Amino acid sequence: MSELLFEASNVIYKENLIYNDIKIKKGKINFIVGESGCGKSTLLKLLNHTINPISGRLLYKGSAIKEYDPISLRREVSLVSQEVFLFNESITDNFKTFYSLRQKPEPYEGYITYITKLCCVNVPLSQLTSTLSGGERQRVYIAIFLSMCPNVIMLDEPTSALDEKNSHEMMINIIDFCKNKNIELVIVSHNKTIVDEFCEHKIEIVKEA
Amino acid sequence: MQGAVELSILQFSLIYLLLIIVLIIMKKSKVNQTKLLLVASLRMTVQLVLVGYILQYVFSNPKPIFTIIFLILMITFSIHRVITSRKDLNRKFKIAIGVSLTFSGLFVLIFFVTIVVGKSIFNPQYTIPLAGMIIGNAMTGVTIAIKTFMDDISKQKNKISSLLNLGVEPKDILKPFANNALETALIPTMNSMLGMGIIFLPGMMTGQMLSGTLPTTAIMYQIAIMIAICTSVCITVFLSLNLGYKSLYNDRKQFL
Repeated sequence: MSELLFEASNVIYKENLIYNDIKIKKGKINFIVGESGCGKSTLLKLLNHTINPISGRLLYKGSAIKEYDPISLRREVSLVSQEVFLFNESITDNFKTFYSLRQKPEPYEGYITYITKLCCVNVPLSQLTSTLSGGERQRVYIAIFLSMCPNVIMLDEPTSALDEKNSHEMMINIIDFCKNKNIELVIVSHNKTIVDEFCEHKIEIVKEA
Repeated sequence: MQGAVELSILQFSLIYLLLIIVLIIMKKSKVNQTKLLLVASLRMTVQLVLVGYILQYVFSNPKPIFTIIFLILMITFSIHRVITSRKDLNRKFKIAIGVSLTFSGLFVLIFFVTIVVGKSIFNPQYTIPLAGMIIGNAMTGVTIAIKTFMDDISKQKNKISSLLNLGVEPKDILKPFANNALETALIPTMNSMLGMGIIFLPGMMTGQMLSGTLPTTAIMYQIAIMIAICTSVCITVFLSLNLGYKSLYNDRKQFL
């Protein structure tokens, strides 16, 4: 079995977005770093196959991504994007709606409480998501995707709307949860303290001139 | 019952005097649309005079080919109006709209003229006016539906990408948008059914009564045409969206 989770070689998405040689490792906390606009988020979208490259080789666990069934791949390789979307209902109901859209049985209240606490959501679960702050919404959103325990979770700027203290605590909890459940982690982050503290394998994307 | 009084040109021209009142009110209220009013009145007059003469000729020479040409022109123009109303429709979506409008319009029209009224589909006196109402309303309905559908989709990009990342099938993501657009498109027709006979006497019924048709016959036509319109709007919108939304993603379940 290959020890690489993802591999990209000579992948061209657009003429100015080229990934020459990217290796994301299994069993490591992978951090993707690079300046804004270098194509970090685009790489994640290529990896869960919601967009297609023009050319190049993209592998997941040693097999070409385009050979996988796209829907099962996205359920297995879960991308938590920066653009948060929640339904205009309570936090609990959001969990239920997301689970029914994924055709999964409703989660137990206790599990929702556990996973939201883990993501530092410190508001009552009956609260409407429209009344939450940007940071709270982001944490609820992460909690929903995390709670489904995919094989791989890709977090795009998970702490962009959080203060230092909350960011740190949430990252510790998420990493702990993922290690316990054998969930592979790929994180895009600008937050230098977070990267320095948690990174086990760094992937640096350089913008092509 | 007697037929409508035949209007002499002079008598008829008097109706334009009313437009002077509109012009004065517009001037006073600083509504800068006087030019539009004049152009609109003129265009309407020219278009209707033309169609009046053409229909007069067609009715007195009822050849099937004339009816067919009329139908083709009506359908072509209405499809053109719908697909040029949005810049962001792809080719397959436009084809879906064209096919749906043609199929639904003809289906309802043929049912109405041949089965309900019991006339030949080539009878211009029945087919042409009814086709105008059925196809025209289907056109308006599908224009509203496409606008609602495409606007909602572009407003809710986050929702769509989130659900796609969650591993939801694109058709399950888009279906609720299509259902909502169908509802929006049907509401005006259903509202006018609600108000009919109390708030206003519909144009077709008024016209028939002016030309001497018994009110009891006129209402039957009116009810029939309303149901026909409702059906053609419903089928056109349903088919257009359900055939059309599939053009928004590829076989790798990626949005284009």
